[in-house]
Amino acid sequence: MKRLAVLAAAAITYVLAAWTVAPGFYDGFGPTEPYRWTCPPQQAGANTKPSSGRADIPVRGGKSEAYSVYTSDGQIVIGFLPDSFDAGTKTTIAVDITPLDSCPEPKDVRFVTNVYKITADAPLKKTANLTLLYSNLEPHPDDIYRADDPGGPWAALPRSQQGQPYTIYTSTDKVGYFSAGYLATTTPRPGVVTIGGGQALPIVVAVLIVIVVLAGLPLAVMRRRRSRGGEEDEEDDS
Amino acid sequence: MEWTRILLAQNSRFTAAVLLLGGAALGLAALGQPVERLGLGTSRFALRVIGGLALGAVLLLPAAARSGWAPLLPAGLAAAAIAVSIGEELAFRGAMYAALDELGGAPLAIGGTTLLWTLAHVLSHPPEFLGAVAAAGLLLALWRWACKDLVAPIIGHVIADLAL
Repeated sequence: MKRLAVLAAAAITYVLAAWTVAPGFYDGFGPTEPYRWTCPPQQAGANTKPSSGRADIPVRGGKSEAYSVYTSDGQIVIGFLPDSFDAGTKTTIAVDITPLDSCPEPKDVRFVTNVYKITADAPLKKTANLTLLYSNLEPHPDDIYRADDPGGPWAALPRSQQGQPYTIYTSTDKVGYFSAGYLATTTPRPGVVTIGGGQALPIVVAVLIVIVVLAGLPLAVMRRRRSRGGEEDEEDDS
Repeated sequence: MEWTRILLAQNSRFTAAVLLLGGAALGLAALGQPVERLGLGTSRFALRVIGGLALGAVLLLPAAARSGWAPLLPAGLAAAAIAVSIGEELAFRGAMYAALDELGGAPLAIGGTTLLWTLAHVLSHPPEFLGAVAAAGLLLALWRWACKDLVAPIIGHVIADLAL
């Protein structure tokens, strides 16, 4: 009974600890949380608007420092090496990331992420590394595309090595508009689908609880009866 | 080994394959050890399985209450999730728990595996997640202690990884 109480206390501790972070215990195989869409696809369910990001990159001795700028939802990250900007006499360089309010649909490319506008108040002189998170609700993107104007033309950037699931990487020597997608003429690789219409986890947990209760109670009763009859066999009562 | 697995998975073109091999490599820690020492005996097997389902429900409860959203992983990543879950349990709550238990008893085994399990996740998880990781490790280690069982932690861990 004492051990049961300790286990119950540990379970409560876990629930409280996991409550502070979404989704709780997580080993990193699926996306950590639903993608935040500017224009959510039909199957997205409840949607939160995507975030923007901003940073003032310090300049020391005429050279900008290494820095990463990202949106607070983590859906896009751009990383700059030391001395990436033509800083001139500036003491800081402002970099802004803003999700576009609209969703451009160029003829030759299908976008599977939001379109983000990245601006900097100094020109780049070294390539920057760009990482985009993508959703499991759309096909996997093949490339990250860049344009000077949301109306296009959009050009595919060289794709960097694949890394973590649901992320795509590239490098760019200019800021501008960015989105991940695939050519309209290609067959996209299917994305991961969600199950249960956005209510899968409560259903899974409810089913688990029902199984535990329905199967566990008879087993507990059987064990008690055996124990009373003095027939309990500790080694094999399954 | 856990850090190597994570670093390779983050920097490889073959993420699922690396994760799969990493999970298998972690499982090697338990190779050659008696199943009873690892908590893998078959006595009360039905109860162990039900315990695993209960642990899975507890691990998923916060996410279920908050978002309700779950991915259906592609086959490669699902296989990797299963391999890594089993590998981590065999390594941490199996071989490492048994070794620390022999060295300093249950308190060292529970505290030591929880600490090392949390440290093993430092590279793959943002700092704010580590409290939940530590609490999950403590829960699984306490189950191992209270029930002398590793089957349930394996089942609970696999369920959590597949659903999240």
